[in-house]
Amino acid sequence: MSCSVLDEEQFRLSCQLLLQRSDQLGDGWSWEAVQGSEEGYLRKTALRSVPSDWGPLHDQKGFSSHPQPQTLCDSTGHEKEEQDPAASTGSDFLRAEEEDAGSYTVTNSSSLVLQYEYHILFSCSYGAPVLYFRAFTLEGRSLALEEMWSTIHPNYRLCLQNCPLNAISQQEHPLLGQPFFFFHPCRTEEFMGPVLQAAPDQGRPVNYVLSWLSVVGPVVGLDVPLQYCTALHSTKPD
Amino acid sequence: MADDKDVLRDVWFGRIPTCFTLNPDEVTEREAEAYYLLLPRVSYLPVVTDKVKKHFLKVMRAEDVEEMWFEYEGTPLKWHYPIGVLFDLHASNTVLPWNITVHFKNFPDQDLLHCLSNSIVEAHFMSSIKEADALKHKSQVVNDMQKKDHKQLWMGLQNDKFDQFWAMNRKLMEYPTEDGGFRYIPFRIYQTLSDRPFIQKLFRPVSPDCNVHTLGDLLKEMYPDALTNDGEQKRYQVLIHGIEPLLETPLQWLSEHLSHPDNFLHICVVPVPTD
Repeated sequence: MSCSVLDEEQFRLSCQLLLQRSDQLGDGWSWEAVQGSEEGYLRKTALRSVPSDWGPLHDQKGFSSHPQPQTLCDSTGHEKEEQDPAASTGSDFLRAEEEDAGSYTVTNSSSLVLQYEYHILFSCSYGAPVLYFRAFTLEGRSLALEEMWSTIHPNYRLCLQNCPLNAISQQEHPLLGQPFFFFHPCRTEEFMGPVLQAAPDQGRPVNYVLSWLSVVGPVVGLDVPLQYCTALHSTKPD
Repeated sequence: MADDKDVLRDVWFGRIPTCFTLNPDEVTEREAEAYYLLLPRVSYLPVVTDKVKKHFLKVMRAEDVEEMWFEYEGTPLKWHYPIGVLFDLHASNTVLPWNITVHFKNFPDQDLLHCLSNSIVEAHFMSSIKEADALKHKSQVVNDMQKKDHKQLWMGLQNDKFDQFWAMNRKLMEYPTEDGGFRYIPFRIYQTLSDRPFIQKLFRPVSPDCNVHTLGDLLKEMYPDALTNDGEQKRYQVLIHGIEPLLETPLQWLSEHLSHPDNFLHICVVPVPTD
């Protein structure tokens, strides 16, 4: 039986393994338990620097930007009109030189610093982990959806915009009740399936959550160091 | 059964008389009168409150108007919950009309999702339908539908067209006879006593030894505090569409007949009023 669907117990085990590696590597993940139960989620915060020419992050007070900004908002800080990010493909979204449809050149080095918070929860409906995240300016203002799109590398953005279901949208955090952004989990089986199928042939154990995270994490600035996998091998019990 | 179809209609056409009042701190050019409206239990606030917005915008200047949001007795109302759920959770057992305060400033972005167009509501609605079908049918039925079929579900809800909606929704309510019901029941149990917004877990309508699960069985497993033990006084009401179904009701039947249009059974557990 090909099973690219995860159950809650497997999710918890995978998380605990990931957590052990994270502790060894100093990668900053923690397990937040729901009071009085085994339920919980992985959590991590990180500062992230986003090139300001990836898109129109609102130039209101509250953004830290380095000198010589080449920001895209108009200099009065006037908010850009509401756009549907999924429909927008054009030049008003991407400003730097494009060599061809699939690539992107960053032309200057100014950047904005944001504070990210990442949560990994389990979706029992889809039998998959789900990434919830939110971002704040250093002054504590939370990012809107349109601004969030601007923090995603334009190459990823092109792929996501072709996804029929809004791949990234605002959602209520199922345990905390607060607004977060999240990656819709309905396509997880599509990319995890091949990974799980190939694993037995290669004789390597697969940590579902780790493999999944290495696919979705980088899209929103969450890198998963390769050392996670080397640690997996070196401490593997006989 | 003819009776069962009546239930579907009664659920669809449930209404809550509501009085919308402008937050007194909003800046107006003249006094704003309250606006009365019958809200459909099964719909969502952004879909049915265009008239409310227009009414209050008449007395305000454009520069004083930002994203509209609603609040009841200090609690921001989550527009992505069906209206009936919001009422049952926050205002059941209060005197009608339901008094909602309208705001155009200071959007509470730590409590509420933004909703700048109806396409956001549509996306949420369709997302719930897809999640419900993932639970009921491993997504097979919803994935077999065409885009226009999905659109029909949304348009049926948006335009309050029962027949248009159910022509498509009935497919989502079918199951192989030999299974005795859906794979899992899509449900959410809401309460206001803790921070956790809702309880949602896997639960089968029929046990492996073919026992039909009831509403009481679900609560016993998911939220035992909601149940009253023998000899105890009743502390909580378990509300679905504003009524307290018998705990012996089969869960499968509830899922087929008392689900919201998003195909979820939304269950509110509220303290019994002490009056």
